[in-house]
Amino acid sequence: MSEARFKLLVAPPAIVSSAILVLLFIVLLYYSLPAIREYGLGLLASPTWKPVEGAPGEYGLLIPLAGTLVSAVIAVLLAMPLALASVVFTEEILPRGLYRWREAFVSMIDVMTGLPTIVYGLWGAAVLAPLLGDTLYKWLHRSLSFIPLFSCQPTTGNTILTAGVLLAIMITPFIYAVVRESYRQIPRTYREAALSLGTTRYEYVRIMMGMAKPAILAGALIGFGRAAGETVAVALVVGNTFNMPSCLLAPSYTVSSLIANQFANAQLYPLMLNVLVSGGLILLLIGIASNILGIMYLRRVRYVA
Amino acid sequence: MEPVEVKVSDLNVWIGGSHILKDVSMKAPPGAVTAVMGPSGSGKSTLIRVINRLIDLIPGARVEGKVLLGSLDALRADPYEVRRRTGMVFQEPNPFPHMTIYDNVAIGPRIHGLARGEELDRLVEWALKMAHLWDEVKDRLRDYPHQLSGGQKQRLSLARALALKPRVLLLDEPTANIDPVSTVKIERSIMEYAKTTMATVIIVTHTPQQAARISDHILFIYQGRVVEYGPTREVVLHPRHELTRKFLGGEV
Repeated sequence: MSEARFKLLVAPPAIVSSAILVLLFIVLLYYSLPAIREYGLGLLASPTWKPVEGAPGEYGLLIPLAGTLVSAVIAVLLAMPLALASVVFTEEILPRGLYRWREAFVSMIDVMTGLPTIVYGLWGAAVLAPLLGDTLYKWLHRSLSFIPLFSCQPTTGNTILTAGVLLAIMITPFIYAVVRESYRQIPRTYREAALSLGTTRYEYVRIMMGMAKPAILAGALIGFGRAAGETVAVALVVGNTFNMPSCLLAPSYTVSSLIANQFANAQLYPLMLNVLVSGGLILLLIGIASNILGIMYLRRVRYVA
Repeated sequence: MEPVEVKVSDLNVWIGGSHILKDVSMKAPPGAVTAVMGPSGSGKSTLIRVINRLIDLIPGARVEGKVLLGSLDALRADPYEVRRRTGMVFQEPNPFPHMTIYDNVAIGPRIHGLARGEELDRLVEWALKMAHLWDEVKDRLRDYPHQLSGGQKQRLSLARALALKPRVLLLDEPTANIDPVSTVKIERSIMEYAKTTMATVIIVTHTPQQAARISDHILFIYQGRVVEYGPTREVVLHPRHELTRKFLGGEV
């Protein structure tokens, strides 16, 4: 194949794939415009969701937006210690002689990043939600109900907290992978320097984690982006109820689960589809922002003094 | 603080399948600089990594023999205890990039709870002065080390080790990649530290000139074996072994 032909062959797909993001943005914006024009800022700020058949209803995305943020923040807060502990375990605690075991453990976590999310959702709905609802939530409510977050009476396990816990389990392998790769790249000379000071393993790991801090932030941001966008697993456990997530033991909504649940009947209600698309636009922006920030932090990982 | 003599007897080290150090015996007395010299790949770096047990990090390393730091049996003791008493400076300048200049020096004393507040400030100043870096950084202790030159970074690494006032200071070709001015300052620091604190200093070097300039004793290693060991003057002026003569003449 000639040089020119080869270039002609590979250039268009590359251009198309990078153009998809731009097109996606334009299309989402185009379909959001009617909703933005009708509701203005109320689209973000109003907690009302009143569909009216044959006429524009009242739609505000405040509750699902809050649900998305709350569940994603819970997920990151729970996933960070899990991911960091796993990095320390595989990189520092598992003896180097057990190379095969270490790699098996690492591969197992890596495989978890590629599982279909519906699998997590099914497990979450069938096992995790009832389990948490019967045990942890009752206990939290009984002993910590003076804290507003735990003040509401839990009825089922399908709550915003369950969504957060499930998301934490789902994003831990991603954060683990990001942090592990950077942690492994810390040059040996810094490891030796830290150990030569007579550090215990704990102190040594603290110094190493300090060096990997940009990667840890990147992992948190990328994990947040994934958690905010995750749909099907959340839709199965979040409860799908218009309910401000000010109490974590009550069902709520997220933007993505709202879209998944309402999309099928949105045709019946004027403007509802446009409102849902604008929710998608917001998710796209959250995803882009957290990934760009995460990548920026990852670029700052350079282990040179 | 008591002077500590380093005494290595019948040391053998294997890494993977290869025999790196063969029946090595040596002594490094306190208050003096002992140079370990030899061509690259002769096992010099491995020797000092046995002394502070960094050898433990190398997968597949096997060590036999005895290493004494004063009365401490280094190969049987808790490695943290061994490293607590020894300081090390490496070939690459390696101050921690995420810590300020001050924190790089203070990290050791902080971890071991040796000093805080003004006492820590004084200790940091002492270490930086000992490393001949104080005048260049005293107004920017809160800066990060990436603004320093390579030679300054290496002196900062030296100050980090000195802040713990180690009884044994190990240096692994500390000036191999360093500018001449910093090299002179580091060499002076090393000699002063040995003489003023009665510390035991062991420096690995691949240049006989450096060994001649700063050491009191020379250990010449070739292919994992000790070829010659003696006072620097004697080894340099009257080498007993043909290989030593060749190495000093730059032929090996």
